[in-house]
Amino acid sequence: MKKSLFKFVAVLVLVFVCLALGGCGESRTPYAATYKSVEPFAGKGHVELELKENGEATWTHLGKTLKLKWRVSDGKIWLYTKEGGLLIVTPAEEGKILSADITGEWHPGCPPEQCVLFKRVETGG
Amino acid sequence: MEPKQPPPSGEDPGKLKLLEVGQEITVPPKTRIVSQGEAPQAFYVIQSGKVKVFRETADGIRTELTELGMGDYFGEVALVTGKPRTASVETVEETRLIEISKEEFDQVLDHNPQLARHIIRQLASWLVDGDQRLESEVVHQVKLRQISWFDYVLMVGLSIVFAIVFNLYNDNQIPLFYHPGGKDAVGEITLSQALELYRKNEAVFVDARKNSFFEQRHIKDALSLPVIFFDLMYPMFEFMAAQKGGAKDKPVIVYGGTPSRRFDLELARLLNKKGYEKVMVLAGDYQAWQNTFPLGEKPAKAPAALPLGLAGFIEWLPLSIFVLMLVPPIRRSPYLSVICRVLLGWIFIQFALSKIMRPAVFALNVVDYGMMPAWGVNLWALVLPWAELVVGLFLVLGIRTRAAATLIGAMNIIFIVGLVNAIHHNLPINCGCVGEAGEPVNWWKVTKNAGMLLMAIQIFLYDRIFVLDRGGFVWRERRI
Repeated sequence: MKKSLFKFVAVLVLVFVCLALGGCGESRTPYAATYKSVEPFAGKGHVELELKENGEATWTHLGKTLKLKWRVSDGKIWLYTKEGGLLIVTPAEEGKILSADITGEWHPGCPPEQCVLFKRVETGG
Repeated sequence: MEPKQPPPSGEDPGKLKLLEVGQEITVPPKTRIVSQGEAPQAFYVIQSGKVKVFRETADGIRTELTELGMGDYFGEVALVTGKPRTASVETVEETRLIEISKEEFDQVLDHNPQLARHIIRQLASWLVDGDQRLESEVVHQVKLRQISWFDYVLMVGLSIVFAIVFNLYNDNQIPLFYHPGGKDAVGEITLSQALELYRKNEAVFVDARKNSFFEQRHIKDALSLPVIFFDLMYPMFEFMAAQKGGAKDKPVIVYGGTPSRRFDLELARLLNKKGYEKVMVLAGDYQAWQNTFPLGEKPAKAPAALPLGLAGFIEWLPLSIFVLMLVPPIRRSPYLSVICRVLLGWIFIQFALSKIMRPAVFALNVVDYGMMPAWGVNLWALVLPWAELVVGLFLVLGIRTRAAATLIGAMNIIFIVGLVNAIHHNLPINCGCVGEAGEPVNWWKVTKNAGMLLMAIQIFLYDRIFVLDRGGFVWRERRI
């Protein structure tokens, strides 16, 4: 009985270690900062994108703030909406410039009409 | 080889006679004295040291039968029956033996009925023990190959429990069931009425689906506002609607529902909350607009592939295994089953880990396939990754492997059906197999899944070693 309990606990630990490792991803530190869109978004007002070190992010436009989550994988920033929407953001110039593909899909180059360009304005999340 | 000393007087006559013949030999450790299948030449009595007796099958499964020490003897079975050796004997440490030739052994038996009786008794007792061992082994093998409903209940039950509990504590939790809500709050408009408004340019048409679906086909001049990016994209929508002369009191017609999720209803309600007074959804069949309105179309374009890293490479392994399976002796090998188990388990664990943390993203991938009813999307998105993880672990650890292989095979069949359906309908979707984005659906994905299905079948049919199952752990070298 004790032996099977030990095996069960061992398997559970293995599962949660895998989950922890799977959930970690790459370090967020290089990109944790506040960014501002280069052009006004939707014709009025700039977007302020804040990437916090703890994986939370905010997208603020015209005084309205939207909460997002983010992680880094293969040098790209993956932004998640609560509904499961996904924005892939490509950093350039060591994270000083971000180009966000707002189609919700992955394109090798950010599509010009649906690409929001951000510039870092403040370091640290 | 050393000359034999005559036995001291006053000893047992049987032993006396046996020790009077043969010659003494000393064998170094790890040396094979007798090989299974060879013609018998001699009988051996151990004077000091240790030997082990074992059998080996043609496919290399070794069964250790016993270990013998000082005073024990071996090699008599083949001499008595006149048939080839039934087992092999190897020294464990340096061993001193008396080697008695076949002729000498026959002579000893002729002149020593006491020893002959002893050997007959020994052989008879082995026969009885052998029968018992055979019976217990048959029972063990039968148990090993048994599958019960309990196995499936255990795996599916564990997956459901883990999925629900994990979702409770997950930062990215989603409701177990998706409620699109009733239609009461939102008005409907028939296709013909909508077409009339369209022709008169008196309404703004809004597509609620993902961008890739909109790009592929939409009502000409409609605006795209994917409901999953509503908060993010609403300002852009407002800007575009204003460009088109849309005002909040002008009719807004939303379309783009799917059997899996009522995007249109949800978007209509959200627009209503934003102050659009005349929001309506297209009534009837989800696809009917495609046959009624002029369309803006682009050729179907699969999403660009994003490198998947290690997971992407691992997915190719089933194809190599498939090639191995073309060779008949390998196809049936239990060692191939072990390789298949570890690989398939590893692949499914990878699949699971890519989805477990963010079920909302996976739920949208499920929606894209358009095959799941709305109520089942979230449940499937929560439970499937845990089922992949549980059966993957069961396969790697060798627990209930036949049942685990059946479940994996069933999942592969579901995946293949989904993929073929998506290819057949040119759906511009992400596979959602091991990546959240940039994983196009194509025939390679189908082939890889077919390879995995074959691996599951191989495990189901031939897996029997390195397993922890009913009747205990079965290792390569079984001690009976």
